[in-house]
Amino acid sequence: MSVIEALKNALPKASVLATEEQCRPYECDALSAYREKPLAVVLPETDDQVKQVLRICKAYQTPVITRGSGTGLAGGTLPLKNGIVLGLSKLNKILKIDPLQRIAVVQPGVRNIQVSEAVRQYGLYYAPDPSSQIACSIGGNVAENSGGVHCLKYGLTVHNVNSLRVLNMDGEEYIFDEKDDGVDLLAMLNGSEGLLGVIVEIKLKLLPKPEAAQLVMAAFQSVNECAEAVTAVLKQGIIPAGLEMMDKFSIQAAEDFAQVGYPTEAEALLLCEVDGSHDQVQVDAKRVADILTAEGAYKIIVSQNERERVALWQGRKNAFPAVGRYSPDYYCMDGTIPRSKLAYVLEEIAKLSKKYGLRVANVFHAGDGNLHPLILYDANKPGELAQTERFGCDILNLCVDVGGTITGEHGVGVEKLNSMCHQYQGAELEIFHGIKAVFDDTGLLNPGKAVPTLHRCAELGHMHVHHGELPFAHLERF
Amino acid sequence: MQQQFNQMAEQIKEAAVDQKTLQIVGGGSKVPLKNDAELLSMAAYSGVLSYEPSELVITVRAGTTLSELHQVLAEKNQMVAFEPPEYGNSTIGGTYACALTGPAKPFRGKLRDYVLGTKLLDGQGRELNFGGKMIKNVAGYDVSRMLAGSKGSMALVTELSLKVVPLVEEVTYRIEMPECDAIVLMNQMAGTSLPLSGSAYYRGYFYYRVMGAHPKQTNRVGVEAVDNSIWQILNPFKPVLQPGQKLWRLDVESTNPCIDGTLAVGMGGTRRWISSKNKPEHPYVTLWDDRFLPRHNDGKGVKKIKQGLKKVFDPHHVFKDL
Repeated sequence: MSVIEALKNALPKASVLATEEQCRPYECDALSAYREKPLAVVLPETDDQVKQVLRICKAYQTPVITRGSGTGLAGGTLPLKNGIVLGLSKLNKILKIDPLQRIAVVQPGVRNIQVSEAVRQYGLYYAPDPSSQIACSIGGNVAENSGGVHCLKYGLTVHNVNSLRVLNMDGEEYIFDEKDDGVDLLAMLNGSEGLLGVIVEIKLKLLPKPEAAQLVMAAFQSVNECAEAVTAVLKQGIIPAGLEMMDKFSIQAAEDFAQVGYPTEAEALLLCEVDGSHDQVQVDAKRVADILTAEGAYKIIVSQNERERVALWQGRKNAFPAVGRYSPDYYCMDGTIPRSKLAYVLEEIAKLSKKYGLRVANVFHAGDGNLHPLILYDANKPGELAQTERFGCDILNLCVDVGGTITGEHGVGVEKLNSMCHQYQGAELEIFHGIKAVFDDTGLLNPGKAVPTLHRCAELGHMHVHHGELPFAHLERF
Repeated sequence: MQQQFNQMAEQIKEAAVDQKTLQIVGGGSKVPLKNDAELLSMAAYSGVLSYEPSELVITVRAGTTLSELHQVLAEKNQMVAFEPPEYGNSTIGGTYACALTGPAKPFRGKLRDYVLGTKLLDGQGRELNFGGKMIKNVAGYDVSRMLAGSKGSMALVTELSLKVVPLVEEVTYRIEMPECDAIVLMNQMAGTSLPLSGSAYYRGYFYYRVMGAHPKQTNRVGVEAVDNSIWQILNPFKPVLQPGQKLWRLDVESTNPCIDGTLAVGMGGTRRWISSKNKPEHPYVTLWDDRFLPRHNDGKGVKKIKQGLKKVFDPHHVFKDL
């Protein structure tokens, strides 16, 4: 019996997709540059079915790539030819809401926005808000430790998850809770990109919806001035709920798309939102406007009501599709840098843009240093995707070189495996492989993602050789 | 300091060869010392390595005392949001090793939420770096946060990069009421937009702390403004006990009803301090017998994972067990 037959025997007929037509839609996630048709796709409806799938795949030594809504941007759920895709979209129930305790217990396939919608009646919401929150699943958010516009103030997914129920490759169940003693396994499961276990239940922390929010939009004649202004706001003791910056190309594209009144002649635009109690917001919005003016903003708009606030956000929220209209394809990078290096990094990106002959728009979570350069390319032009990838890799290396990191919120997936060799040396990577083996000694959970093999780094010339001694000399390198 | 770092690496390598056990110690205020272990002192490995107020990040050596950390941050109007308890000459390394967080935990988050990166020496004396100085970083497993709470059993963490926050003005209020009512009220209040940074119950009073600009509280019946000293009484909590009684720390759901023998309720209802002779029946109980004693209440599977991780970081079993 083949693994597909075994899965078909164990699961309802509609839960196993194995034809060419059925599998094609699962050949990639939101990073469509990488595609691979899986052996089969299984869509279990219960925990028990997930356990059965894992046990069968273990028996057949078949790799399992767990997938939520497929909105990942780093190829973290790219299928393997000999592997199955374990889609958790049917595990989409909100199991419990306790407004007094301010928690929600959900299955992994629940979409991010659904949680806030379900608890709105209690004046609560779920804070992490990745741009894809309308579609992305909570399980995927945990796997990638997703962030969003509000994460400077309210944290990433890891800060908003109280407990996880996880299955290992044998289908055995583990609970990792914030109340556990000793090493913080709950923290490590967040952002582990499907390599350590399959998440089947998540207890989320809910926050009271802020009483008020106000948005300050400020236009600057230089990127440097804008970056300095962000620094000044934070130095003055204000932690904005959202702090977003756009470069000239992004401003023009967003305004062209959404017509929200952004000044298209500006070199940089800052959107700074403050939230909290009415009293606090009044104080903070005025202070922010004063600080930004003092730092050189030549135009300032402060939203006067909820309608204006939402309208001003529309340009930024649509920046990616807006830029996408200028080119058949675009590639969204995700690096994080110290804010003080922003002007330098943008200059270097502009140089790389000339070198590779590809246009770039920059959107930036200014509060936490998370940069999203969008590289415009045409996949139909031979060699242009490869050029784009090299360009992207150069940007990530640049982020590491100025003291930053290769991924702020998208994850490593398959996209940034080479860049991982730039950020981490052999010994750290060896620890990562050790951790993987502790949780999954079969190596069948999402193999080949997130952590590069050591020989890959050696090939790229980033292997750390200490006093002429190559670590792990016993490992085959090819 | 580099010399001291190298010496520590050597001490670990030698211990691996000699099959000796090392116990990492900072100020020595929290975890009991093992008689059969050689000490690896971190107390002198201290000092601020870098501090960027505008980036909201500070990097310190693990032996840095909390008082020094607070002082350096206060000079720039900033603070560590997790309010670590001061047990007497406490270091940031020991606080991290024990994952200790103060009263603002349900509102501003716990210690590991503010850990961005670490430098460490593993059980082979190798220098490793995990995470970084960025608020966002999802490259590789989050080892820096995972090791919070490992109590020196896995690796010697030598440096920590922490996210810091602006120093805020906080005001404390109290209302006299029974404990059970206070537990409900503290949960109800936490679901409102009032910017809370602490709530607790102690000796007949419900206490709550509010940060920044907020609606006037003393208009409410029975509410009086008090000074902020209650949070130091509860953090660290060191009550005088009756003979034969022990102090237990219970971590519970915030809405857990009153528990017999409770001396104080902290952290928005999620922390209960109980005085009793015997261990209370509860899944998350820690004996707080002058010092912090590990719980050992993991299920079989989780225990196996932790043992496996210990081998990854410390294959020669140099660091003491939990």
